[in-house]
Amino acid sequence: MSETILKATNITKIYGKHKALDKVTIEIKRGMIYGLIGENGAGKSTFMRTIMGLITTDEGNIELFGEIGAKGLQQARRKMGQSIETPALYPELTARDNLRVQAANGGMSEREIDDLLRLMSLEHTGKKKAKNFSLGMRQRLAIASTLISHPEFLILDEPTNGLDPSGIVEMREIIHRLVTERGITVLLSSHLLDELSQIATHYGILHDGKLIKELSKEQLANETRQYIELETAEVQKAIVVLDELGIRDYEVINGTNINIYERLDDVATLNRSLVLADVNVSRIGTTRQKLEDYFLQLTGGNSHA
Amino acid sequence: MLNLLTAERIKLARSKKLILVLAILSLLPIIQAVNSKMVVNYGTELIQAKDTVINGATGILMMEKNGLTVLLVMCTFIGFFIGEEFQNGTIRNALSLGRSRTHYYLSKLVIASLLTLIGVLAMTAIGVISFTSVLGFGEFAEIDNYSLYVIKTFITLYLLILANVSIYVMISFLTKNSSISLVWSFLYTIGTGFGAGIFLETEHFKQVTYWFTESFLFYSDFAKTTDIAKYPEMILVSLITIVLSSTIGILLFNRTDLK
Repeated sequence: MSETILKATNITKIYGKHKALDKVTIEIKRGMIYGLIGENGAGKSTFMRTIMGLITTDEGNIELFGEIGAKGLQQARRKMGQSIETPALYPELTARDNLRVQAANGGMSEREIDDLLRLMSLEHTGKKKAKNFSLGMRQRLAIASTLISHPEFLILDEPTNGLDPSGIVEMREIIHRLVTERGITVLLSSHLLDELSQIATHYGILHDGKLIKELSKEQLANETRQYIELETAEVQKAIVVLDELGIRDYEVINGTNINIYERLDDVATLNRSLVLADVNVSRIGTTRQKLEDYFLQLTGGNSHA
Repeated sequence: MLNLLTAERIKLARSKKLILVLAILSLLPIIQAVNSKMVVNYGTELIQAKDTVINGATGILMMEKNGLTVLLVMCTFIGFFIGEEFQNGTIRNALSLGRSRTHYYLSKLVIASLLTLIGVLAMTAIGVISFTSVLGFGEFAEIDNYSLYVIKTFITLYLLILANVSIYVMISFLTKNSSISLVWSFLYTIGTGFGAGIFLETEHFKQVTYWFTESFLFYSDFAKTTDIAKYPEMILVSLITIVLSSTIGILLFNRTDLK
């Protein structure tokens, strides 16, 4: 069984009368890419900040690398790296000097700076100051800055926020490389489930400060699985055909639609059988529940996911 | 702690704000020396009690002469130096690596203290040289052992200024924002500096004003033997201020939520 990196139990944070986090319990094991999903204000950043010790909790326990208590957590945090919201950089310093500062903060050697600059494609930035970098470059530099202390656990809050499509793809590749090449465990957040689904291995859905669902990549795929969508005015006649074909896993939606969850590769045969049985088919084809719709269904409405 | 100080050194190595601070503190005595020379050339006699620095020997009192300027320059620098860490979010970089908040606070205080020391040393040295060049070294009335007086006066004036620096550091950590920190630091400087002038006129509150270092800095004459005799009291008030403000600052910073 893989080692538990983070075990957060019943984390609660209250601002005035508002519960920013309400008994959130999350366990992250080594090698996971844990995606925290939620609309703006759901509590993603607050949860990440509590893990990093930047804000205090009103209730709950944090266990990091098996360490608990203030001293233990302080030690454990030396194995962590973070980039929360906007990249935290010194605008007047170059990429190299930004990395030198973080190396000094972590008590690390400066030997790896060149490698990290190359890894993040920043080796040619020279004397250019961080304030003159594009957002993508700043995001990459922020991640390079977190890597200088050889973290085993990386926390990235909305790392693709504000990036253009190519920047998003590039960031995804970087995170993949960090996990596969360096064996880093990652906790990252986004308000876009679709985007996270391309990278995360596990998901936690936060809504109004509560963790409303946790699921693995496989479970997500299953819950948003592909199906044959059949639209016909003659639902009863269609069901008879499905029964004759031995299809059992289906559901009738709105009296005119049938979602069929098996024999997905055999749409042509199904269509032919329906036509031969004189069933008027308005539409037939495979489809998949949109992740956004799935998220909205879970959170019950108005979200940007 | 040493790691944090190394990080601070890298940050400040190319800091324009640092260069600006040192430039102001270095150029000011030169301008004042030239100005004093012109005043003398126009027939006005310089008086130590009024002009504070009148020759190279009295140059040691550059901190007294420029007390308010030094404080305003330092509170502006500290406001940006600490406030920007909060505003850029860079404070998270060190703290999320498990660095202690107390060490982080102290590293900022140490850097601010060192910078103040370098600044006032430069200002005093350049002041002595400039005034000696234009008005001669001269002598210091009522002072028998000049070397001892120089050491004692420099340490006392530095500590009086350092006590305020310590307050500015505390304000910056509590406000977590450059501009708000500047406003509060200015208010503190002006309030305790000029408010003391009013309270000194009253019998009952006169003593209270000497709980604040600026009262000594602005309302004492460091060339007068009666005020020189108050050096131990000045040092004590300064040290108490530094310890108190740092303790309050560290305690509150340790409880602060960081964005």
